[in-house]
Amino acid sequence: MAAVIEVRDVSTTLGGHKIHRGLSLSVARGEVVALIGGSGTGKSVLLREIIGLLQPQAGRIELFGQSVLDVTPEQMNVLRRRFGVLFQDGALFSSLSVEDNVATPLFEHTDLPRGTCRQLARLKLALAGLPPDAAQKRPSELSGGMRKRVALARALALDPELLFLDEPTSGLDPISARAFDALIRLLADSLGLTVFLVTHDLDTLFSIIDRVIVLSDGRVLGSGTVAELKHIDDPWLNDYFAARAPDGETLHGN
Amino acid sequence: MTEARARFDDSQGALIASGDWQADSVAALPDLAGKQVRILDGTGVTQLDTNGAWLLLAAARPQAGDPLPELRAFQPQHLDVLNLVAQHRAATAVQSGPRQAGVLELMGRSTLSAWMHVIGLTDFVGRLFLTLAVLIVRPRDWRWREFGAQMNAVFAGAIPIVVGMLFLLGVVFAYLLGDQAQQYGANIFVVDGIMLAVLREVSPVIVAVLVAGRTGAAITAQLGTMKVTEEIDAITTLGLSPLTVLVIPRMMALLIAMPMLVFIGDIAGLAGGMLVAQQQLDISAHMFIDRLVDVIQLKTLVVGLGKAPVFAIFIALIACRMGLSVTRDARSVGANTTSTVVQSLVAIIILNAIFAVTFVRLGI
Repeated sequence: MAAVIEVRDVSTTLGGHKIHRGLSLSVARGEVVALIGGSGTGKSVLLREIIGLLQPQAGRIELFGQSVLDVTPEQMNVLRRRFGVLFQDGALFSSLSVEDNVATPLFEHTDLPRGTCRQLARLKLALAGLPPDAAQKRPSELSGGMRKRVALARALALDPELLFLDEPTSGLDPISARAFDALIRLLADSLGLTVFLVTHDLDTLFSIIDRVIVLSDGRVLGSGTVAELKHIDDPWLNDYFAARAPDGETLHGN
Repeated sequence: MTEARARFDDSQGALIASGDWQADSVAALPDLAGKQVRILDGTGVTQLDTNGAWLLLAAARPQAGDPLPELRAFQPQHLDVLNLVAQHRAATAVQSGPRQAGVLELMGRSTLSAWMHVIGLTDFVGRLFLTLAVLIVRPRDWRWREFGAQMNAVFAGAIPIVVGMLFLLGVVFAYLLGDQAQQYGANIFVVDGIMLAVLREVSPVIVAVLVAGRTGAAITAQLGTMKVTEEIDAITTLGLSPLTVLVIPRMMALLIAMPMLVFIGDIAGLAGGMLVAQQQLDISAHMFIDRLVDVIQLKTLVVGLGKAPVFAIFIALIACRMGLSVTRDARSVGANTTSTVVQSLVAIIILNAIFAVTFVRLGI
């Protein structure tokens, strides 16, 4: 399978700090991959580099086999249509209604009549699990969980092949968080999406992730299923998995 | 990528689709008016996303509630997408779109909102007086540091532009007056004219306009952004009053800074006039100052300086109130900042007119 995301030897220095030191990873089509790592290991920075918002000092980043570091703005826009991004705080347009927030990518990038765009937006909202009466509200009238769902609906508006999620379940209650996980997996399976997410949520890792990539000290410490990662002896990783004790998942089980 | 195509087969009542179906594929749909689609055939469909699936289903079944057509020859993953979309299609049928309000409704709403604005302002002034009363009883609660920072922003930062504007206005006034006065050989009276105009009207009003545009807008934008980021709520939960911490220091800074700025403006305006008098009217600086000392009256200066605190209170009231009434969206900050400047300017002009009429009636 062709790699959808290809990161090679990326080095980043921000404000005098070396964040990435020759980091490499790749994600294949249809995979649901989580990026984890302690605070300040540059997860979000890497995500911003992959989607072309930041430039690393050295290295190569490719999306769908095309480098994002030396493309023309027009090529980048073509590329942008093929992926959707869910920002951590939703980043909804506060002066537009929920429906228009989701319809905005359709307004801008397709020739569909506005009415059809709005209907497709409502389809996306329904897929993201929002009730129909939310469509006319303003983002400021919604709860945090609902805003996340609206943001997911907007990321899905153009039916991208690749979805980037920055902390999709942070700030959600456990029930909403699990429902959100299930939704992402359902969409990934039924729409054949590739999903790349940054998360701290262990339950997400255990439930819907095909592969986990661990960042540490500016490099990829390990990559594999949760069970495989448990065999890596790293203080942070041990603490991380130990944090989920209550429901019987033991650290060195199996 | 293969182009999306669709045709209607009359004999079977089948809509036969092929190619990559996505949002842009809407143009490929045939005209199905008056036709009954019994079968949706996906033999040649290579890719199908939710947008494409919705378009196909909506074409085959314009009413979301109707039972699905028979789905034939779709690939399994495309069937999943179709079923997923069909499951949620009912939600897309909700007809909406912003309702157009009638003239009467608009009039009612704007009257109501104007009335709410008056009530809100009254309420705000009331609270402010209460807070002031508390501060007078307990002077320890004064925020000196914030007051100092505001003085720096309101006063020190405004001096260059006040000096520049008033100097140039003094120059313009002297030119225009001098042009007229010269014809009657009344050059020296230009001094009287400039003194009266600058001290009594030009300096107070222009300084107030500058402060409204500069400081008033800044106050609203700052308090509004603090409201959006919940900083105001944080201040309240810490047991502090936003009025004590934010509003009173700003108001006091404006109240004290404005008369000082007007005084600086007076001097700059007279200096501008003096320069022109020297160059154009052969009135030396010495003569200008002699004449100025002869004709200047304390009341002229006091009238001009006395307007300043009144303007300051209104600008501060409007700016703080608009800042604190920002709602939690980005547009609201911009709208309220604009509104602050407009309201302040209108207030300044109206107040100045009231002053002028009152002073004339009182013979000042």
